[in-house]
Amino acid sequence: MNADALRAEEIVKRFGPLTALAGVSMHVKSGEILGILGDNGAGKSTLMKILTGFQPQTSGRLFVFGDEVELRSVDHARALGIECVYQDLALVNGLSVYHNMFLNRERLRRFPPRMLNNGSMRHRAREVLDDIGVNIPSVDVEVERLSGGQRQAIAVARAVSSDARILLLDEPLAAMGARESALIIDLILRLKARGNLSIIMIMHNYAQTLDIADRIMLMQRGTVTYEKAAGETSVPELMEIVRREYRALRSA
Amino acid sequence: MSSATGSGAAGGPSRVGSAVDAFLRIREASIVVVAILLVIYFQSVNENFLSKANLETLSQFIAASAIIACGEIMLLICGEIDLSVGQVFALAPFIMHFANTAGVPLVLAIILALLACALIGLLNGLITVMLSVPSFVTTLGTLFLINGFTLTISHGSPVQTGGSEAFADVMGAWGYSEILWAFLIVAIMHTALRQTRWGLHTIATGGNLTGAAEAGIHVNRIKVGNFVLTSVLGGFTGILEAFRIGSTDPLAGGTNIMFLAVAAGVIGGTPLAGGSGTIVGGLIGAIVLGVLRDGFTLQGINAFTFDMIIGAAILVAMVSNIHLGRLRGAGARR
Amino acid sequence: MSEQDTDGFARRALMGGAALGTAMAVLGAGIRQARAEMPQHPKWRFVFVNHVTTNPFFGPTQYGIQDACALLGCDFQWTGSQTSNAAEMVNAMNAAIAGKADAIAVCLVDPVAFNRPIQRAMEAGIPVFAYNADAPKAGRLAYIGQDLYLAGVAMGERIAGLVPSGKVALFIATPGQLNIQPRIDGAQDAIKKSGKPITIDVIATGPTVDQELSVIKAYYIGHQDVKGMFAVDAGSTQGVSEVMRDQNLPSKGIKGGGFDLLPRTEQNIKDGFLDFTIDQQPYLQGFYTAMEMFVFLASGGLSGPAEINTGLKFVTKESIDPYLSTQSRYEGNSEAAKVIPRSGPIAI
Repeated sequence: MNADALRAEEIVKRFGPLTALAGVSMHVKSGEILGILGDNGAGKSTLMKILTGFQPQTSGRLFVFGDEVELRSVDHARALGIECVYQDLALVNGLSVYHNMFLNRERLRRFPPRMLNNGSMRHRAREVLDDIGVNIPSVDVEVERLSGGQRQAIAVARAVSSDARILLLDEPLAAMGARESALIIDLILRLKARGNLSIIMIMHNYAQTLDIADRIMLMQRGTVTYEKAAGETSVPELMEIVRREYRALRSA
Repeated sequence: MSSATGSGAAGGPSRVGSAVDAFLRIREASIVVVAILLVIYFQSVNENFLSKANLETLSQFIAASAIIACGEIMLLICGEIDLSVGQVFALAPFIMHFANTAGVPLVLAIILALLACALIGLLNGLITVMLSVPSFVTTLGTLFLINGFTLTISHGSPVQTGGSEAFADVMGAWGYSEILWAFLIVAIMHTALRQTRWGLHTIATGGNLTGAAEAGIHVNRIKVGNFVLTSVLGGFTGILEAFRIGSTDPLAGGTNIMFLAVAAGVIGGTPLAGGSGTIVGGLIGAIVLGVLRDGFTLQGINAFTFDMIIGAAILVAMVSNIHLGRLRGAGARR
Repeated sequence: MSEQDTDGFARRALMGGAALGTAMAVLGAGIRQARAEMPQHPKWRFVFVNHVTTNPFFGPTQYGIQDACALLGCDFQWTGSQTSNAAEMVNAMNAAIAGKADAIAVCLVDPVAFNRPIQRAMEAGIPVFAYNADAPKAGRLAYIGQDLYLAGVAMGERIAGLVPSGKVALFIATPGQLNIQPRIDGAQDAIKKSGKPITIDVIATGPTVDQELSVIKAYYIGHQDVKGMFAVDAGSTQGVSEVMRDQNLPSKGIKGGGFDLLPRTEQNIKDGFLDFTIDQQPYLQGFYTAMEMFVFLASGGLSGPAEINTGLKFVTKESIDPYLSTQSRYEGNSEAAKVIPRSGPIAI
């Protein structure tokens, strides 16, 4: 089955007089990694927020596994299998690993009612982490005690723990050293290998992106200016496209 | 909280050592130690400190700030504060009084008063989150507003608190009644903070506001809810105190009780910056403050030097608390 | 008279004189031996609970307690609330009871809040006295202070004498509080009884001196047709006197007066800006209360309690001078222990 897991057609987003997205179309299949590249202000984060249900688009259509959808909220997007890991990781420092993994999705006891079922959450958190091969010594530790790479891994683990089908990652390798980047890249590739997950990554390291992604998409000033399979392009080529844009801007 | 792991081989000393370790790893450990040291000090200076009569008096020094601290701690955790709670404290018993004299049965009058407090909390919360006014400023404004309102409806004059003797006893007049209410409320709030979604989301809202919102938590609802909670607790405490002393006074409460409640929370281990906190710690903080105020009064310290000594004592207690906390942190890393 | 008679007379006179002298000496020795000595007693601890512990009005009261304790060989604690908070005062009383104080004195500023603590203290065998403010049926042994209602009546009568007709403002810091409310009640009753066509505005000024001044000034600016401004507490009186000076009200025929002797009040009376103030002798409220406590304890409760009216003394420009020229513990503006010299006839 090679239908698109997620497809966007002519997404426009305006904030008053400002146009953040001027008609963006993209698609990604199951088991595929799409890398979205572009400078700050290109509209990558805005697109991300629309695809995850955080904000509605001004115009344009979205299709999830072929069905047209109007994402009403983050919860709605989640219910459809769209999960996201933001740049700030949305982790709460004062809470444990397992509480973070179940944030806003907490499991409750049947009795006494409305009480957290910590035991069950601990167990499941452990399961998920082991399953995707993330090495965290204890799920009871407060996340502020973990390293940057471990925190990222937990944020990703949270995203995939609830039957996600489409995973969006916003700058997953930002501010990470070589060793930690390698760990996260391994994790992402392991997730891809499962075959039932589509991964969309916003990146700005061209080399890393071409290594990991199947396809890349270059965004500039609210539109998609270039789209290619990773194997069919190269870092110098991408950089030339970007340079052309600079020259056009500076001479204007 | 991780469990203690003892090494069985060496026997006695290491088991004690690991028990001490486990104790110190509890967040509230340091303030408990401070409280115990203070009790020992005051008992050594004045043999009447742990007498039956003084324990009852001591409990009355503690109860009010302990209950209000429960609300302030929840607000502090999610990054807000309520400066007006001392005025709601004074207003609630008057609403109860006016409703009662108008013919409403006392229990219903109390519920009406608490509903009014909830409305005030709603006002505080909505102004803070909808109009993006820092809660410090919002509640500073409502502080004066409510104070003026209370003085107006009461014409500045105190009235006798009504109610049958039995009812009054349950609602604060009997010596230990207030502290029992305090224990009950602390138990409920502690459970709520640690074992419910509301508590978890409160921590998340304070720890990472954007992150919590991104995770889909209704952070505004959390904040407004905690404002309502604090105002209701403040009003309830004001009613308890009105029954305790038999007089409903527009000058009651005020900024003093508010600062005591916030101080109890902070001394107990809830940082002013938010993101984490402990209700039981707030109770212990209230105990520390109560022990200081009662102990020094018992000792005969005069009013002029009293505040100086209390201030110095709070500083010493806090510095000890922080140092013990650092030892705890160092120990946990071992 | 013959020579023999004169000799006999002289001899009898001498013998009489010698006998008288001896008798006097014996009597004198006896009197000296009968002179009283203070009984041995432990250093009793008196706890004074006050509603505005840091208010300067009670400075002389504390000196009075200190002096009495120095005379009697006792000790005291000054505690309570800074902001007229009844709950804090009740807490302080409870602590005193638990700490087994030997005697307690409290300003009964609230009609009911102190009933139970007083009952508990008395049940525990601790004598309780009221000073400065009294509450009916509170269960205390005695009240030492001004008769507040009568003081108010006296002021009301004087107001009726000063202001023939028109609007008069009565300022009170904290209405309902029993140390000042009865005064305003008395004043209003006396003014009504005088039958004069006087309308009264009652204004609350608040418990702190700076606030009081602002309120009074604002009232005057909004009611410049007022004929007299009077106050029933120390802070408000000072405020009235300052506004009268500031706006030069005596020159407009406006009268003013009040209670107690704060320094600015004294100065403004001397300079003619305030017509009168009433001294309630706060030094005595501390001194006599401590004395009564001592006597009660020394006599095993047989003697001691006695209602003492510490007085109602009008002080005007004519009689203000000694207050200004001296600084003493009795007025509270000096710590030095000394006897104030006085000479000449005493005027009433």
